Amino acid sequence: MNKNTFSCAKCLLVVILLILAGILGFVYSGWYPIGADNKHHALTYWALETLRERSIARASADISVPGDLDSPERLLAGGPDYHEMCSGCHLQPAKAQSDFTLGLYPAPPNLTEAKSGQISTTENQRTFWIIKHGIKASGMPSWAPGHDDERIWSMVAFINRLPELSASEYQILTSRTDDNGHAH
Amino acid sequence: MKTLQQLLFVAGLAGLSLTVQAHDPKEHMKDSEKPNCEAMKDMDHEKMDMNNPVHQAMMKKCMAQMHDMGEMKGMEGQDHSQHKDAAKEKSEHQH
Repeated sequence: MNKNTFSCAKCLLVVILLILAGILGFVYSGWYPIGADNKHHALTYWALETLRERSIARASADISVPGDLDSPERLLAGGPDYHEMCSGCHLQPAKAQSDFTLGLYPAPPNLTEAKSGQISTTENQRTFWIIKHGIKASGMPSWAPGHDDERIWSMVAFINRLPELSASEYQILTSRTDDNGHAH
Repeated sequence: MKTLQQLLFVAGLAGLSLTVQAHDPKEHMKDSEKPNCEAMKDMDHEKMDMNNPVHQAMMKKCMAQMHDMGEMKGMEGQDHSQHKDAAKEKSEHQH
């Protein structure tokens, strides 16, 4: 190794250390605007969204989807859980917004909006994975603690049918009753 | 021995707290609204597709109340058990 190569390596090391010190300084400075009412730069938004979508696609690719997502039993099981756990952020028929949809950033998707075309296996895998694992720093929690896979799949089944429900159909399907159809 | 007892006590408490944290449907049943099956009276049952899982689920949910409510629009003279059978058949077919 000649003298020039050595000094170049030293130079590079100094530059890297300065960059790291700059990043650390920025982190500790408190200058980053962390408020949810301060929107990301378009480039940051793209990077985070791409990171999220690629991560979910990779992690959910091998999940096997049950064949009975279209059964009425799934809708009856998933409806009350959706209403109690999801509707505050992801809305319900005849409700266009809530405090959560107005204040969360990024805004949670409105799951009552109609989707184009048939729901694919990939979409079912994605929805299941998101409900089960949640998404970091987005307000979406992991529902795995306290909910087994069967319950989560029933929520997926209900979410698939949600855009076609009227307000009165939603009310009937999401009310919690015992096995004999009686509320308490 | 004392340490073992303490460990068992802590493990028991941890198990109890997990049980309490679980989303128990029975807990929500107390606050849940009754299904408004009366709304089904205003729906045109002749236009209802009984192969649609949404309609099947609603019929299942409201079956008990529907019998109390009596006949509904478009269902006069129809055998309610047909709807029950259609829902059951589809459900069995999918399993």
